[in-house]
Amino acid sequence: MSVEDPWSPFREVMESPLEWARTWKEKTGGKIIGHVLPDVPEEIIHAAGALPVAIEGAAVQASHALGHIPTYSCNHAMGTVEMGLRGDLDMLDGMVIPYVCDTTRNLFHIWDRLIPKMHNEFLRLPKRTDHSMARDYLRAEFERLYESFAGLTGKKADAAALAESVKLYNASRAKLREAYARQQTNPGVWTGERVRLLLDSSLRTPRDEHLAWMENLPWNDQSDVAAETIRIYVRGKVWDPPGIAALLDQMGFTVVDDETVTGYRAIAQDAPLNGDPIEALVQRHMATIPYTGYHVEPRKMTGDFVDRVKASNARAVVFLNPKFCEAAAFDTPDFQKALQEASIPSLILETSARGVSTSQISLRLEAFREMIADDLP
Amino acid sequence: MQRIESLKNIKQITTEYFTAAHMAGRTPDKPVVYLNVFTPVEIFYAMDIFPVYPENHAAICGARKVTKDLAPAAEGMGYSMDLCAYARCDLGWIKTGMSPTFGLPKPDLLVVSNAQCGTLTKWFEVLSRIYNVPMFLIDVPHAGRGEKDPAAERYVRNQIEELIKLAEEISGKPLDQERLKASIQLSKQASALWTRMLELGTSKPSPMTVFDQFVSMFPIVSQRGTQPAVDFYAAVVAELEERVKQGIGGVDNERFRLFWDNLPIWPELKSLSTYLDENGANLVTSIYTWAWSMLSVGEEDPIGDWTEQYLYTFNLHMSRRVEQYTLLAEHYDLDGFVYHSNRSCKYLSQDIPEVRDAVTERTGLPGVIIEADHNDPRLYSLESMLSQLDNFLELLASRKKAN
Repeated sequence: MSVEDPWSPFREVMESPLEWARTWKEKTGGKIIGHVLPDVPEEIIHAAGALPVAIEGAAVQASHALGHIPTYSCNHAMGTVEMGLRGDLDMLDGMVIPYVCDTTRNLFHIWDRLIPKMHNEFLRLPKRTDHSMARDYLRAEFERLYESFAGLTGKKADAAALAESVKLYNASRAKLREAYARQQTNPGVWTGERVRLLLDSSLRTPRDEHLAWMENLPWNDQSDVAAETIRIYVRGKVWDPPGIAALLDQMGFTVVDDETVTGYRAIAQDAPLNGDPIEALVQRHMATIPYTGYHVEPRKMTGDFVDRVKASNARAVVFLNPKFCEAAAFDTPDFQKALQEASIPSLILETSARGVSTSQISLRLEAFREMIADDLP
Repeated sequence: MQRIESLKNIKQITTEYFTAAHMAGRTPDKPVVYLNVFTPVEIFYAMDIFPVYPENHAAICGARKVTKDLAPAAEGMGYSMDLCAYARCDLGWIKTGMSPTFGLPKPDLLVVSNAQCGTLTKWFEVLSRIYNVPMFLIDVPHAGRGEKDPAAERYVRNQIEELIKLAEEISGKPLDQERLKASIQLSKQASALWTRMLELGTSKPSPMTVFDQFVSMFPIVSQRGTQPAVDFYAAVVAELEERVKQGIGGVDNERFRLFWDNLPIWPELKSLSTYLDENGANLVTSIYTWAWSMLSVGEEDPIGDWTEQYLYTFNLHMSRRVEQYTLLAEHYDLDGFVYHSNRSCKYLSQDIPEVRDAVTERTGLPGVIIEADHNDPRLYSLESMLSQLDNFLELLASRKKAN
């Protein structure tokens, strides 16, 4: 770790995140539990004594996976299968696949058959966020998950340990929110790319260490004042393709808010610290903006989205829609229509599409920027 | 092949059904509900709320080959070609007004259960916005590895109870328990007859093909809980029993007994059935048509039965699907499996390569995967499909010879 460059520990993790996790395991002898993101409560894995590591398959080129999952599946699923078959993930002791869409359901089936030696868990998240019994069901599901991983690590699934984990993750999220906010006030130092680095690495490293690293960041550096940029709001699954944040920086876009599972949405809500920690995690889950695979009152959905965009003061919206993601593909036309009615320009980028290059995305963003610039009074 | 005469009644039944649906749509005190399969239709029949199935309508559009006009219209509305072709056909007819059934009546309520797939939830959300009507999702958690899940049971049961309250609000009257019992009775009879019909496929030769089952599905999907469904299946079963006695098969010369996985390829029912008939291959059973044999409930605690059904019967871990296929292989004395890798139905298709391998490991029977689409002929090549089937039948023939 370089003393001079406070960003280097984060960069080192993200240069080769799986290798970093493997080395961590060799050094500590600890257990690692992978998860394929949407709404997996990392606190539970942490409290059970394991390191939660996010697995993102979006940018992985599929080869071995082609015989096991059809090509009309999203790259997130295909890439995960590919990494599993290649042995890239053999340092994992367990894996959590959350049920947020038909593809994650089938990914669990495929994974469970191909990698049976791993401690595989299917986190069955309720799709309704407006129902009191959905909370009870989710609570039971979180309790089951905690017991399951405590069984794997040999630790007791006790409330005190979980409460400590909740506290740690809240502290981490608070710091990440602070970093996210700096994008708007000090974008020369706190670039979108750097903030992404912080968020991405937080999903792959011990949170206490990550929090300590963040303390060394240049929080007091006011060398760069807010430049004239185009404020955008991002909706999508994950930040994909790789390099998209840097591309947005280069083109003069500032992300003021986003609803991705690896973005602001993941850090926006804390779990209450008083009371039962499982209940706190349920509350946090239910308070988080619903992922596209969840069901909310359809007639309110688009209006609520436009309200959130307006509240952010964003000038435009960018959708990062993974190819073959049905939930996003059903939502987006009405979302875009509602934005149009509110005179908010938007751009849909079909991400994770095999054969789509960064330069194509770059061209589209450039054209979008020009279109918005023309649109300015 | 000698056709099944009683299946001809399906035209009259569908005509009467859609006429009644359109009448309901024009009658102020006869609300219309859009449903999917794993929802308690008996409740709606008992409350004079007319049930309509957009999937059924889309399948008719596919079979009548109008997808090529409807799907592009939906795509023009911004809906990706990667989305389910049923949904695209439905949105396409709303946009264009083109439909072999003169469309569907406007709904007053949308009810969907995700024991089937997540696609329907999102599709119905779009409909809720188009028609500005309420939508009720019965959220059914995945059955895991089949272990009992009391929290999930409470969750599903509670939602069905809420649904009844909502239906009472929409219809303006309480659910009449006697009418519900009557509807459940009829539903049970139709389900029993449907099951009997599928069971007759174990005869050699099988008196009907899975294509015949697809053609006969309409009443078990749309009219469970009504007399016309019972009458229709009673006539079909009687005719099939007679065919069994006389040794009349669904194909002329049954050489191979095969399983069909997934939804039909509606635009190719005729071409595929003709090809298989000419080659002595009889699709004798399918997990898809078996689904409707599991839908009847008891009169004592129907809500409990629906809960059990939705939770533990349909949204299964793959390993349980493999167990079912293995049992069917023995029950029907199958020679092989034809798996339809269906671009429009990721839910039923993405794990097919693993299902195929697992089933072959368990049964020793080969399986072929053909990639197609249940409704959109622009997304597959019939020639490639037939060529794959050619190779597969050759393989089966050589296996038979070797044995």
